[in-house]
Amino acid sequence: MARLRPHAATAALLCVAATAAWAQQPPAEEPGWAKGRPKTEAATRMAPVPSFPIPTAPDQLPTAKFKLPPGFKVETWASGVLDARSLRQGDKGTVFVSTLFVGNKVYAIAEKGDRKPKTIVDKTEFATGIEYHKGALYLATHKQIVRYDGIEDKLDNPGTPAVLHDKLPGGQDHSWRYLRVNGGKLYYAVGAPCNICDPDEAHARIFRMNLDGSGIETVARGVRNTVGFDFDPKTGSLWFTDNGRDWLSEDLPNDELNVVTKPDQHFGYPYCHQGNIADPEFGWGKNCGEYTRPAALLGPHAASLGLAFYNGKMFPTKYRGAMFIARHGPWNRTVKYADIAVAWPDGKGGAKVEPFMTGFVENNNYLGRPVDFLVLKDGSMLVSDDHAGAIYRISYGGR
Amino acid sequence: MSKGFAVIQAIAGIAMTLLAAAAPPAGAQGTPPAQGSYAQRYAAVCASCHGANGRSDMAGTPVLAGQHSFYAITQLFLFREGRRDNPAMSAVAKTMKDEDLRGFSEFIATLPPLPAVPPAAPPDAARMARGQALAQAHRCVICHGADLSGGQQVPRIAQQREDYLQLTLHGFRTGKRPGYTQAMTEALSGISPEDLDTLAYYVARFPGAATRPPGK
Repeated sequence: MARLRPHAATAALLCVAATAAWAQQPPAEEPGWAKGRPKTEAATRMAPVPSFPIPTAPDQLPTAKFKLPPGFKVETWASGVLDARSLRQGDKGTVFVSTLFVGNKVYAIAEKGDRKPKTIVDKTEFATGIEYHKGALYLATHKQIVRYDGIEDKLDNPGTPAVLHDKLPGGQDHSWRYLRVNGGKLYYAVGAPCNICDPDEAHARIFRMNLDGSGIETVARGVRNTVGFDFDPKTGSLWFTDNGRDWLSEDLPNDELNVVTKPDQHFGYPYCHQGNIADPEFGWGKNCGEYTRPAALLGPHAASLGLAFYNGKMFPTKYRGAMFIARHGPWNRTVKYADIAVAWPDGKGGAKVEPFMTGFVENNNYLGRPVDFLVLKDGSMLVSDDHAGAIYRISYGGR
Repeated sequence: MSKGFAVIQAIAGIAMTLLAAAAPPAGAQGTPPAQGSYAQRYAAVCASCHGANGRSDMAGTPVLAGQHSFYAITQLFLFREGRRDNPAMSAVAKTMKDEDLRGFSEFIATLPPLPAVPPAAPPDAARMARGQALAQAHRCVICHGADLSGGQQVPRIAQQREDYLQLTLHGFRTGKRPGYTQAMTEALSGISPEDLDTLAYYVARFPGAATRPPGK
């Protein structure tokens, strides 16, 4: 399915040379994701892999192949959820599910019942960033942030939302959003408009604004692309995953796990990666010491997405106050990997990271790819999988 | 937009009408046959327009031989959702369940690439050179590969039908033809209609590209 083919043969190229007049044409801009890509055949065959356009059939899901620590179990909570990305829950139990390139939708799934996804927002590009707060569903696309008030009473017809912010820069690269409400502010991020470039002030930052869209301010700079962040319930600090640049090599740099500890910190992009690698182009004249170092490294091309602190009571004590991180897995790396990691803040600005749930990859093919988390009221945890179009439930039963 | 393009649009319209006639009756919807029968279903549903071996000789109808299953299933999905605008193909795709999208696309990927029928006259060398320069300047090879054979969700375009390439390129440029993203529209936005036609001319006659097996 999403398998890479071998590419031994190189093409026979035309012998006819372009004339001087045509050669003078300025070359077109590369797509942003291809900036910095080597010209080798193996690298040029790696283009972003979108989700498969149909969900995996329920009996073909990889649920039984997942491996967890002793005492934990995982089951399929919902299937047939095409392109399932972010997860949030309403006060009345409705689980909201966003999508990215394939779905163009937001679904609502009733917690009880057959858990068939009901489309509540349709035909909306990049309908990816969602948050639920005080009866309202917030939705951030590449271009705007809107709010559907009283959403759980209007699932059949959510109506026209209030537009809170319509000046997001749009574009294609890293223009899918992630949302959290904390302390009366809505947090969102705008990624770099490219793989590697020197971004303007509208990009590569985490922002926050008041819930009515006013008072936009920068929370963190030098953030290439974060698609997962949450607040430590103990300290109130904002922790976020950041996806490292591409095409430096297969094994470097790592994705970062970062923590915001004061205003206006710069996390390095595009000048410094993973706290200790100056960028071969943009790093000249810069010093990695000028930027906030990551709390932990999450692996090369890991595509670290959703991040959620575990605030339930079902899992053993050691997991309370830990954060779960979805490593979606690389597209432009020969060896694939994907898992759910768990990370504990060490109280000194760092974090310890270890794998929690594995089994997403078989024979270097993705069976599933985790995206985001939702801790339910009973303390079990949902995980979305956009590749298989499913949502899993992880619970702990002890031994 | 060139006059030639308008003519091709008209021809394609006729082709679509024919396609609609070839669509299976609605009764076929609820009864997907067993696995492995997609060769027969392809022969019944698709071959009259796209060719039994996947090399269409119908105007405006794409060659499927050598196409990748990921690309094929994506297009079937976009037709079924009505996001890719082609009433005839949408009518066919709407009869397909998820497992049919998979079955048809996997069968299509088993059709080996076939070279285009050699034209009576050799290609216009100057136009081919111009097309090659355009393909380099506009970075077609970044996704489609140096041999334009594509891979995964990126289609094989080498030796695709020229009229279909023209339709597609103009459709992307004007935003009429969607993908999952606007990537192709962005890639083509600065190219003149004449240059798109030259690209189509070149890609349709791309030399030596039809010998590799289809990817998975």
